[in-house]
Amino acid sequence: MGLFDRVFRGSDEMYAKAEQSVDEIIAKVGPDAPMNMPNTGYFLACNYAYLGRKITKVGELKEALADVRSMMTKEQRTRDVFLSGIGTAIAAEIIEACKYVETETPYEGTLYHGHLTDAEVRELGVPLVTGDIPGFVVIIDEAPSDEEAAALIKGYQSRGIFVFLIGGIIEQAARMKIGMGFPVRVVPVGEDIWAVGHVISLVVRAAMIFGAIQPGDFAGFQDYTFHRIRAFVNAFAPLRDITVACGGGAIAMGFPVITNETENIWRVPKSLIVQPNTQEFIETSLEARDIKIKVTKIDIPVAFSSAFEGEIIRRPDMQIEVDGSRLDCCELVCTKEASEIEDHKIILEGPDFDEFPVGTKISMCYIAEVAGKNMQSDFEPVMERKIHNYFNCIESVYHTGQRDMIRIRVSKSAFEAGFRARHFGEVLYAKLMSDFGAVVDKCQVRICTIPEKNAEYRALANKTYDARDARLASLTDESVDVFYTCILCQSFSPSHVCIVTPERLGLCGAVSWLDAKATNELEPDGPCQIVPKDRPIDEDLGTYEDVDEAVNKYSHGALEHVTLYSIMQDPMTSCGCFECICGIEPMSNGVCIVNREHTGITPMGMSFSELASMTGGGVQTPGFMGHGKHFISSKKFLKAEGGVGRIVWMPAALKETVRTRLDATAKDLYGIDNFTDMIADETVVEGDPEALMNFLTEKNHPVLSMEPLM
Amino acid sequence: MPFKRMPQTFTASIGTVTIGTGEKAVTMGGENVLPLYSFDAPIANRPLIGVEVSDLGVDNTLPELAAFYAGADTVVEQAKRAATMPGADFLAIRLESADPNGANTPVEESVALCKAIADAVDCPLVIEGSKNAEKDSTLLAKVAEALQGKNVLLMSAKEENYKSICAAAVLAYGQKMGAESAVDINLAKQLNVLIDKMGVKGENVAMNVGSAAAGYGFEYVASTMDRVKAAALGQNDNMLQMPIITPVSSEAWSVKEAIVSEEDEPEWGPTEARGVEMEIATAAACLAGGSNAVILKHPKSVATIAAFISAII
Amino acid sequence: MALKGLDIFKLTPKKNCKECGSPTCMAFAMKVAQGGVALDACPYMSDEAKATLGEATAPPMKAITFGTGDAECKLGGETVLFRHEKTFVSKSLYATTVCSDCFDERMEEIRKVDYERIGERMHVEILNLVYGGDPAAYAALAEKAVATGKAIILECSCAEGAKAALEKCKDAKPILNGCNAGNVEEMNALATEYGVVLGVTGANLDELYDTVAALEAKGNKNLVLDVGTASVKDAFANAVQIRRAALKDKDRTFGYPSIVNVGKLAAGDRSMQTALAALFTMKYGSIIVMEGMSYAQALPLFGLRQNIFTDPQKPMKVEPGIYTLNGADENAICCTTVDFALTYFVVSGEMERSGVPINLLISDAGGYSVLTAWAAGKLSAGSIAKFFKEFDIENKIKSRTLVIPGKVAVLKGEMEEKLPGWKIVVAPNEAVGLVKFLKELKV
Repeated sequence: MGLFDRVFRGSDEMYAKAEQSVDEIIAKVGPDAPMNMPNTGYFLACNYAYLGRKITKVGELKEALADVRSMMTKEQRTRDVFLSGIGTAIAAEIIEACKYVETETPYEGTLYHGHLTDAEVRELGVPLVTGDIPGFVVIIDEAPSDEEAAALIKGYQSRGIFVFLIGGIIEQAARMKIGMGFPVRVVPVGEDIWAVGHVISLVVRAAMIFGAIQPGDFAGFQDYTFHRIRAFVNAFAPLRDITVACGGGAIAMGFPVITNETENIWRVPKSLIVQPNTQEFIETSLEARDIKIKVTKIDIPVAFSSAFEGEIIRRPDMQIEVDGSRLDCCELVCTKEASEIEDHKIILEGPDFDEFPVGTKISMCYIAEVAGKNMQSDFEPVMERKIHNYFNCIESVYHTGQRDMIRIRVSKSAFEAGFRARHFGEVLYAKLMSDFGAVVDKCQVRICTIPEKNAEYRALANKTYDARDARLASLTDESVDVFYTCILCQSFSPSHVCIVTPERLGLCGAVSWLDAKATNELEPDGPCQIVPKDRPIDEDLGTYEDVDEAVNKYSHGALEHVTLYSIMQDPMTSCGCFECICGIEPMSNGVCIVNREHTGITPMGMSFSELASMTGGGVQTPGFMGHGKHFISSKKFLKAEGGVGRIVWMPAALKETVRTRLDATAKDLYGIDNFTDMIADETVVEGDPEALMNFLTEKNHPVLSMEPLM
Repeated sequence: MPFKRMPQTFTASIGTVTIGTGEKAVTMGGENVLPLYSFDAPIANRPLIGVEVSDLGVDNTLPELAAFYAGADTVVEQAKRAATMPGADFLAIRLESADPNGANTPVEESVALCKAIADAVDCPLVIEGSKNAEKDSTLLAKVAEALQGKNVLLMSAKEENYKSICAAAVLAYGQKMGAESAVDINLAKQLNVLIDKMGVKGENVAMNVGSAAAGYGFEYVASTMDRVKAAALGQNDNMLQMPIITPVSSEAWSVKEAIVSEEDEPEWGPTEARGVEMEIATAAACLAGGSNAVILKHPKSVATIAAFISAII
Repeated sequence: MALKGLDIFKLTPKKNCKECGSPTCMAFAMKVAQGGVALDACPYMSDEAKATLGEATAPPMKAITFGTGDAECKLGGETVLFRHEKTFVSKSLYATTVCSDCFDERMEEIRKVDYERIGERMHVEILNLVYGGDPAAYAALAEKAVATGKAIILECSCAEGAKAALEKCKDAKPILNGCNAGNVEEMNALATEYGVVLGVTGANLDELYDTVAALEAKGNKNLVLDVGTASVKDAFANAVQIRRAALKDKDRTFGYPSIVNVGKLAAGDRSMQTALAALFTMKYGSIIVMEGMSYAQALPLFGLRQNIFTDPQKPMKVEPGIYTLNGADENAICCTTVDFALTYFVVSGEMERSGVPINLLISDAGGYSVLTAWAAGKLSAGSIAKFFKEFDIENKIKSRTLVIPGKVAVLKGEMEEKLPGWKIVVAPNEAVGLVKFLKELKV
């Protein structure tokens, strides 16, 4: 017999029981007797939600049953299974409701909690909505042993997961002296499988209260439970048909069922999962329902705060030093498959700190292995750059450098407080999970203090660094599908919008395309929003309809058009944070660039600060533009005006910063060697355009043969 | 040739938020013109004035204020007295003492106080938390639960704690909420977007886009409000159309000008008069900038600002 | 849309003669575009070019000057309605009303209010002289007003009275505020004769508009517009519509600064005058006339004005130095933060609330906030060490505890190296945490 048939048989079983309960109660109290569930404004909530029925009299249960029957169609289709499953849950509610006709407290004096009040729904609903309770589990029937039952319940409790128990496991929990009740977040709902009716009642009331889903809006409930209610089911073998039918309902609502039943069961990815090992239930369940446990505290014996960031550990205070300048060391964040790593596992390879004499310089590598559905290897360097900051926040620990050139000092006081190698893992785990929770689902940390092994780790890490550098170098505006906005500076420059592309970093020089991408992923409503580039207008100017729409939207209407590669036509605006400003010098038809650090006057007759006052503040000033240093050597720089060959003047210090890459770009574009030497600087020309012309003529600068700028 | 008038009305308008119940319920927002520009088009709801009552009690060092509250010895009595203040539209209970860095009054006590006040007065209520995001997330949720059916406004949800306030205050218990951000249009918008994603509708949210006393960075407040209103009306940006509520008293009465004693600054004259003028100037500037409601403390400020509003609209 | 610098540059002679005062024609063109320099500073600009550019570069709102010497006042010249669009050019000025009977009393009141706040002198800049009907008395009043050295407004629509007063105060370049639809001829003649700014009013905006047009037709463009005192509602409506017509709708007839007499709008009610003065400081009052100005009114109003008219690109700064708080002496602990005025006020306010005696050390950090200054390299262990040397802190103060802002905790180690012998303590990240922190700080 197939899975579908088991569901259908189970739902028939539930229906029959419901019919029997209703008939019995009508026979006893008559059809006009009132039917009120206590302390709720939602009637029989499942009936109200899914069928739109406000049941107030016992006789109305009959009509409701007819509706349920009609849901239990038996075609071999998923839809039929789902409908039957939900019908099963409604029938279960009816069975339980019959117990409340004659008394408000049918479970008094038992272990069981039964009906959940509206107040309880709200009390549980609030932390569920906020994520303070990461989710809830419904555990059905008896675990293989009392100990396994207790371990499972406690495991969920320790992760903040709310637990509902149904059937035999309740007795097991009682035997193991596990405290139960709503306040301790372990609720023994009822003895029989139809007690699930109470749990589903809670679910649909949450959807009505917190999601404003209207009664009768079947699809609305499906959508809400699937997207908003992080619930799942653990059902122990042997699975009965009636339990399978309830499982069908759970799956229909988006709640995966995890079971240790291996006989007569069919696996459905992400929905019906067979996990024979009950010790793995928790991890399997959380992964199936995409539940992440919030990490709130860092388990280390010393304090962790930004107040310690500036500490310096001096040699005499030092217990141990990780010395990347002489020994093989490295720090690395790398992406793994979820199945390859175990969450929060910290692996120490080699001796711990107490096995080295005081003051030893050691070799140490640490690798944070992360996995997540939204994780991309592009985020690795963004996370890795934060390690310096994380480790410096540890009291009495000091970190400098990055990649394979790191130095870490652990002070005697930290060591005496119990700080050991694995605590670096705790810090990495806690911080990466909390700061990058949007992309990291699991994190495992590997720490190694064995010199020979570290040589291997370091070689491996270097391969990763090289690959990253190559990726960065190969990133061009053409090779990506989207750009990003950055509106971080709008607080003081209201109408400015940066469009960040791989080749044109934010003009402050601090926000690269990868940074913007990571920011967008981590903070989807934050300052960096995706700008598609599907509708190019002019590739030389760097104009896109998408870009224009984005600047218009994010400047709140102040800007209409922006070009990415032109200084003359709709140049990109600036906030005021620009590293450099370039402006045209009309006599030579060239462009002068001046960086913030340079205080002297340019051949344009203006200094950096004079230029800044007319270029900043989000105003478009054709002929002038703020930008980052990195952009100068790009092939996109002034592309519309002929490229870097327009550059006629830069301060000497800036020339040295960009020389290598600028020469390479000019060689590619014009076949000119040592182009930077053709550019004047303050040592030959200051505020005098004539002198500039003489210099350019002498050097035979390419600008002399270019078209006039205006 | 007559002057050609060019009224600046917008097709978009500011949203409305109603607090309180029954006849005493009041509504803020709703206009489709720039703040106070009643000459461009009628303004749907005049700006509202709230009176602040602190759970720390009345500051008896201010003679006029103390005189107004004379005989009202408990916070509940003071709230009842405040509700009678001429010009006041609502009460703002400020749970200052709940601050964990201050008296750290337990949540149950603060909730009990709110409940007692809510039972004693019939005017609309705003409850201001301790300003500590973590404490407020539980405190305001519990207050929301205790005051079910009173339609109160809970202030304020910030980026750190908006989830619990959305879920508890608005979704679970049907109250209104304030959304507080630090004088930046994008932060204000981001918070409103996040709140919207929680399923809370705009009609339940008033913004506090940040406040400052006159002379203390008020330019940021002014420009943020200018930009928020321009985006809400000119761009029809519905994530910035919530009305603005600004707690003025807490800022105005904490700057040097309003607290230094006459002893220390004899030239300046009596402390109370300075505080009052600081509160009035700041409130008037906020209303000019776009606040749809201001929260004040002193009866003289309340009377003056009430007269100011009716003179302009 | 204002003209772009490049459009102007195209019409310059492009000879870089420097005679205009700018080193290049490009620099000149950019300054003209920003409104910083008038087009006619260039002696070689062709008439054709001037005609093309004249209209486009003329500001939509006139810049008007009155008063002389230290009392010279600048009004108008605005180009935007909101400060975030571009900086406001001329701050609102406050005047108080004086009459023959109340002169001494008023002067005593406003003389008290004269102080400095973040590098700006705060005082009532202008006296508004009310005409009581007797030309001789008015002349005497004008004479007394001249002696105060303040700028003067003659609020007088009687030509005889105005003439008498102008005789006494013409050298002080007052504003003659008294022109209306009924006296255009004589008032214009007087203003022209004495070379003073003329204040114009009207029963409503249409009348005012016509009167201004009539004056302009006579060649008088040295005007300010009185928004009237019919009601608060009208005064506000007029102030906004005048400014909006000029800047948004490009109606140059209303392109003049405004006078608002809140003293009349709320006669006798000082608190209401504070509220109205705040309103018109926010929205478009160039000169705000009040009955008087007590310290209680001045403190918030001057503070508000300083905020609203600050240049967003030039942060307000306090002077570097040692600020002693709560009666601190040489043994009191030291705290340091940046010279950004807002930071200083917030931090010093919290420190004062703590009651702990503190030597607050303010070094030159470029007027930036803590993190910005740190990121820009203006606040570093080096900059603080340099400040310690320049101000001879080690000899002036005996305490060896220095509290640094929490946001730059990262400087701690480096500062310990640069300032040997000092104990560096890290404060909380936000100023609100200071009171508790300072009270619990053990030295």
